[in-house]
Amino acid sequence: MQMPTARQRRLRTILFWAVPAILLLVPLGTNAYTQFIVNGMLISTLVTLGFTIVIGNLGQLAFANTAFFGIGAYGSAILAAKLGVPWLLTIPIAGVFGAAGGFLASAAALRGIRSYYLAIITLAFGELMRWTYLHARPLTGGTDGLPMPRETLFGVSLTDDTVKYFVFLVVTVLLVKATANLLASRFGRAVMAVRENEVATASLAIPTSRVILVTFIWSGFVVGCAGALFARHIGHVFPESFGMLHLIASFAMVLVGGLGSVLGAVLGAVVLTALPEYLRAFPGMEELFFGLIVAAVLVALPMGLASLLRRMSPIFVERFYREAS
Amino acid sequence: MSDLLTVQGLSVRFSGLTALEDVSFELGRGEVRAVIGPNGAGKSTLFNAISGYVTPTSGTVHLNGELLTVMTPHAIAERGIRRTFQNGGLFPALTVLENVLTGLHAQTDASFFDILIGRRQALKSEAANIARARDLLKLMSMEHMADTPAGDLSGGQQRIVEIVRTVACDPPVLLLDEPAVGLSPVARDQMMDIIRRLAGEKGVGILLIEHAVELVMAAADKILVMAAGKRIAQGTPDEIRQDRAVLEAYLGHA
Repeated sequence: MQMPTARQRRLRTILFWAVPAILLLVPLGTNAYTQFIVNGMLISTLVTLGFTIVIGNLGQLAFANTAFFGIGAYGSAILAAKLGVPWLLTIPIAGVFGAAGGFLASAAALRGIRSYYLAIITLAFGELMRWTYLHARPLTGGTDGLPMPRETLFGVSLTDDTVKYFVFLVVTVLLVKATANLLASRFGRAVMAVRENEVATASLAIPTSRVILVTFIWSGFVVGCAGALFARHIGHVFPESFGMLHLIASFAMVLVGGLGSVLGAVLGAVVLTALPEYLRAFPGMEELFFGLIVAAVLVALPMGLASLLRRMSPIFVERFYREAS
Repeated sequence: MSDLLTVQGLSVRFSGLTALEDVSFELGRGEVRAVIGPNGAGKSTLFNAISGYVTPTSGTVHLNGELLTVMTPHAIAERGIRRTFQNGGLFPALTVLENVLTGLHAQTDASFFDILIGRRQALKSEAANIARARDLLKLMSMEHMADTPAGDLSGGQQRIVEIVRTVACDPPVLLLDEPAVGLSPVARDQMMDIIRRLAGEKGVGILLIEHAVELVMAAADKILVMAAGKRIAQGTPDEIRQDRAVLEAYLGHA
């Protein structure tokens, strides 16, 4: 594998902070509609990121991702609407709720339930959560959903998509950076080692159960935070937002971007959020084209869009380690 | 007591089948002890019982006087018993460097939170491990392979990387499960040389399962012969060569 040179590494570090800085300027070039789409991209980035570390890096077929998302969104909405907690404060709390969901999902994996069995159990967990949103009416509003209260942030109304954008951007950049740090550390290596050979991993004094547990918890935290952003994004949480359709869409983003890649999570989320908007030019054919494009990407690039960038320049290699300078 | 590893009366039974019965031996610093025996003799079960992958039905394993028999595999590895696997335990999608680094996992104390926020301290201990991993690879003339996925290496190179990974943290005891299987004669000699050097220069106590008789005879100080889960003989290579029970186990009759 071609590894980045010292110069490319420095450039990479600069890019990591320069890109978010440039992204601060995005609202200058958007209208109300496109700003809404861009906000959705940030949320999808976090959803995809949380998903990819479990199925890509850890290699567990766990599909509780949408459950974490719903738990975060409802957690945030209930805290804000019923208890009057400021929304900004509900973001980390929703993350903790999502992490609790991750803890539950990991319990299945840690009891030795793996592969297809883990897949079906975690899918059931997701459906169970959806059933709960529908039936815990006093708390969730059932089919009517739960509206987010009107709020201001530093004197500006939180209905404004530009205001939301800045909050979303900060949360997304922090969580992406933290996850990238995690994956490029001994912890990230241990996560992949468990995927490759769990038995051999334990022989290296790596506590495999803890690695699985922590990966699920971090995944749940990231996706739970995304849920809180989503609650504010659409201003009203409904049970239908957290069904199979959302799960499949996130799964497609993981694969199109590239399994187990932070860069891939960003690319998958951005491309597949933008794609339907461009396909509006072909009314009636949108789903067909969407499906064809996703299939074409996966056939041409089984390792996703991130692998295309990696091939272009080693600057996009994610797994390298900082040497002594 | 000068013995490093003490195995006493170790037995493993799987629902009626006795895989290991009352096996005892000691392993000292710098000693190479080979475990030989026909297929199904219980050699791998012995390794699994020592390293915590199989819970012994009875018997004990002590390392420097500490009882290990009730511990999980990672806890035993942390105490200093490291092992390789018969079918190869490398992580094929990880690079050679990454594989060696996983062997140094417990060698840093960077906390989860330090890593998360990218604290300088966490990066420093990581950098120290990388430097060490590179040195070890250089020692084995494998440094040019550092960024190659381990799955792309030849069988012999994979065996060597697995051993580098296993000894990276300087463990006092090493369990090698058929390290020379599938190797060319040249690579086999190289492997034997590595094993002797680890024991001689670093004082590692090595327990070695091996079918290649010439390798065993040349590399081992003592040989433990097993058949049907039991120890049938123990001694120096010369003693084993003339042992009646061994000849019977291998040839059926003597």
